[in-house]
Amino acid sequence: MTEKMNRIQEKLKEDKKLLSIYFTAGYPNLDDTVKIIQELENNGVDMIEIGLPFSDPLADGPTIQDSSTKALKNGMTTEVLFNQLRNIRETVNIPLIIMGYFNPMLQYGVEDFCKKCQDIGIDGLIIPDLPVDVYHEEYKAIFDSYGLINVFLITPQTSDERIKYIDSVSDGFIYMVSSASTTGAKSGFGEEQSEYFKRINDLNLKNPQIVGFGISNNSTFKVATTYAKGAIIGSAFVKHVTNEGIETIPNFVNSILK
Amino acid sequence: MKIKVCGMKYQDNIEQVAALQPDYLGFIFYDKTPRHFDTEIPEISNDIKKTGVFVNEDLNTVIQKINEFNLQAVQLHGEEAPFYCNMLRTTTLLKKPIEVIKVFSVMDGFNFKVLNEYEDVCDYYLFDTKGKLPGGNGYAFDWSLLNDYPSTKPFFLSGGIGIDQINDIKKFKESEVSKYCYALDVNSKFELEPGLKNVGVLREFINKLSNNKEMQKYNVDERGYYGDFGGAFIPEMLYPNVEELRENYLKVMAEPKFKKEFDQLLKDYVGRPSPLYFAKRLSEKYNTKIYLKREDLNHTGAHKINNTIGQILMAKRLGKNRIIAETGAGQHGVATATVCALMGLECIVYMGEIDIARQAPNVARMKMLGAKVIPALSGSRTLKDATNEAIRDWINNPVNTHYIIGSAIGPHPYPDMVTRFQSVISEEIKWQLKEHEGRENPDYVAACIGGGSNAAGTYYHFLHEEDVKIIAVEAAGLGVDSGESAATSVLGKEGIIHGCKTLLMQTADGQITEPYSISAGLDYPGVGPMHAHLAKTGRAEFMSITDDEAMKAGLELCELEGIIPAIETSHALAIFKQKQFKPNDVIVMSLSGRGDKDLQNYIDYFKI
Ligand SMILES: Cc1ncc(COP(=O)(O)O)c(C=O)c1O
Repeated sequence: MTEKMNRIQEKLKEDKKLLSIYFTAGYPNLDDTVKIIQELENNGVDMIEIGLPFSDPLADGPTIQDSSTKALKNGMTTEVLFNQLRNIRETVNIPLIIMGYFNPMLQYGVEDFCKKCQDIGIDGLIIPDLPVDVYHEEYKAIFDSYGLINVFLITPQTSDERIKYIDSVSDGFIYMVSSASTTGAKSGFGEEQSEYFKRINDLNLKNPQIVGFGISNNSTFKVATTYAKGAIIGSAFVKHVTNEGIETIPNFVNSILK
Repeated sequence: MKIKVCGMKYQDNIEQVAALQPDYLGFIFYDKTPRHFDTEIPEISNDIKKTGVFVNEDLNTVIQKINEFNLQAVQLHGEEAPFYCNMLRTTTLLKKPIEVIKVFSVMDGFNFKVLNEYEDVCDYYLFDTKGKLPGGNGYAFDWSLLNDYPSTKPFFLSGGIGIDQINDIKKFKESEVSKYCYALDVNSKFELEPGLKNVGVLREFINKLSNNKEMQKYNVDERGYYGDFGGAFIPEMLYPNVEELRENYLKVMAEPKFKKEFDQLLKDYVGRPSPLYFAKRLSEKYNTKIYLKREDLNHTGAHKINNTIGQILMAKRLGKNRIIAETGAGQHGVATATVCALMGLECIVYMGEIDIARQAPNVARMKMLGAKVIPALSGSRTLKDATNEAIRDWINNPVNTHYIIGSAIGPHPYPDMVTRFQSVISEEIKWQLKEHEGRENPDYVAACIGGGSNAAGTYYHFLHEEDVKIIAVEAAGLGVDSGESAATSVLGKEGIIHGCKTLLMQTADGQITEPYSISAGLDYPGVGPMHAHLAKTGRAEFMSITDDEAMKAGLELCELEGIIPAIETSHALAIFKQKQFKPNDVIVMSLSGRGDKDLQNYIDYFKI
């Protein structure tokens, strides 16, 4: 795609299991965004998903819904987020991904949004309600021209055929949703998940997979990364921040990676 | 232009051709042709008019065949006199009024004067090629002869039309007279043998014609879009469910067994057809002709049940045993709880906490019907948030659950599926208005719009009828500019809500805003994608009505007609104060629901 390799692609080459953390931008306080990102990197997190809050987050459970509502009340907007991240690449080196719903990007202007991401040094996007076929037909060319990687989700219900299609359209990693659920619904993995993780592993996809949804601690992180390249923690981190504040981020990260 | 496929003979072939959804299918009751029809007509969609073709047949025999085969049209191919046509239109021996198509054969010339006597006694003319046989000669006449057509009566063009004529048809469509050409009638050029149609070629022909855009202008296209609006913007978690539905819905709806069960329940359980009532005193007051389509008389008190009956049958076909729904006013929740009780399926209804408070009687009804009502506590705690919760439930229960969306919204195929189930409203209006006024098309159709399901059903069969104007009525709340409104077509911008691209109320930053209306059923920040398209293309005129105007119009209907309307419906009724219609205008308005559920609101508002 672009002449320079994207930070996500570089990171995926490292010989280790990756820990990625999601947080909602503008939560608990409007100006926590940069602090949270720096803390996460300093404590050994490999990749970060910056949640752009949305009024109607369909794929999210109560924890992320509530953090989004609060962040919007705090005054978070697309413009504010871009401003906060303006100089982020002076201090932060790990891949940064913006995760958000499509409507705010559409209103900002998809091309403007992508350009701004490139200017700042954002490496990729996760847009749960932008289906892969629409992306492929209408937006891929724009994303590519700004060096952005778009990450797609698969679930236990996704057919092998569709997974292969998604694999063919992706050039970073595949976000493997651990079970059919909204975010934060479950903790702990059963037999069903293990089988699913193995099934996907056996497909020998060209893109590595990173597991998300339902990972909250060291043991679920371990199970999730038995086959997969890494795992994403979202709701558990947001909950931690809600209960313990952002000062204790090192404790949280250490408890996962111990 | 509509399509008529004539000379059907074989059961399987009839079903296959019916699946292409032509507008008319012709059956020839004339024993001197190899296409003579002598068996049973299988169960086919009611949208297709079954047409009997006769040649100088005895009138009593024609009447008997109409009743026996439930024909909706007759095509008279012999020298039937004007009084003969008139008899068919006026006889009391028919169960439903019949369309009369009188055929004239054209060769090298045609004396249009012969039409004079038929102007008032038939619905359509049909121009066929003169040949040895009465029809089915297999070659076309010179269509430019029609340039002298003196009438304004719509006609069928027939005689030797085949796939090779596509370009001629396109050229013909540019002619002045083509605006009176109502339909194309095809037969022998699509046959493998007399009476047996080549389905593949016929499909290609129909596709090529509709690629002329005309037919699809206001209907959904194969990608699930109405112009710029629609689509399926859903998280991957929902893809298998939505895809399963998309793959199956048209197939299932076209199944004769499905149609039969749907029609039967609409008739016996819902109480359809709902009356088309001429509102005499209301009409007098506004000096125009107002007909009310009485959806309020349906079982459960609103149009919503047309859709829930359809979707519950669909859910059963797809093997689902758990039903979820969202509701605003509670009408859709009640209609869903009702059909779940009817079918013995588990039912969970999400309802905004605020709506639970303002629609208490409907909450009680749902509970009595065995449904579990779960309050939506997020966001504005109204319909939008109830919809979010229902979608989240579906994500968490992807295998056994069907989500019955209650309006013409959501990801494709929902808007189209809901519209098709509701289209029974305009299907009935057509023949009912014909009984009242002698014509199928009113000058206006009007309906209130929340998500737009009663409106979509009311407009459906008129979307491509250029002489029918469409009025869409939105809730202005305290006033369009008050900040407390739900007038989406005015306040909305293009964006994505609940899985489709449409017009929605949102901030500059793309956050969906909280609408306001006194009516819970109109308190929604978006409109269905079909309506967004009707707004953008100007096909429909959108009007906004405030709480106050609506409440007064509701009370006026009570006083003038003895009907207590739902507050949603009252919004539509208020247009007569805003817009002056002509004395001879015929306006058909969807009376979408009854006001029982709103009594407390009316009581509080008018201090009754
Ligand atoms: C009586 C009545 N009319 C209209 C509506 C609005 O819905 P729609 O726009 O889908 O017809 C509702 C919704 O609850 C209703 O109950």
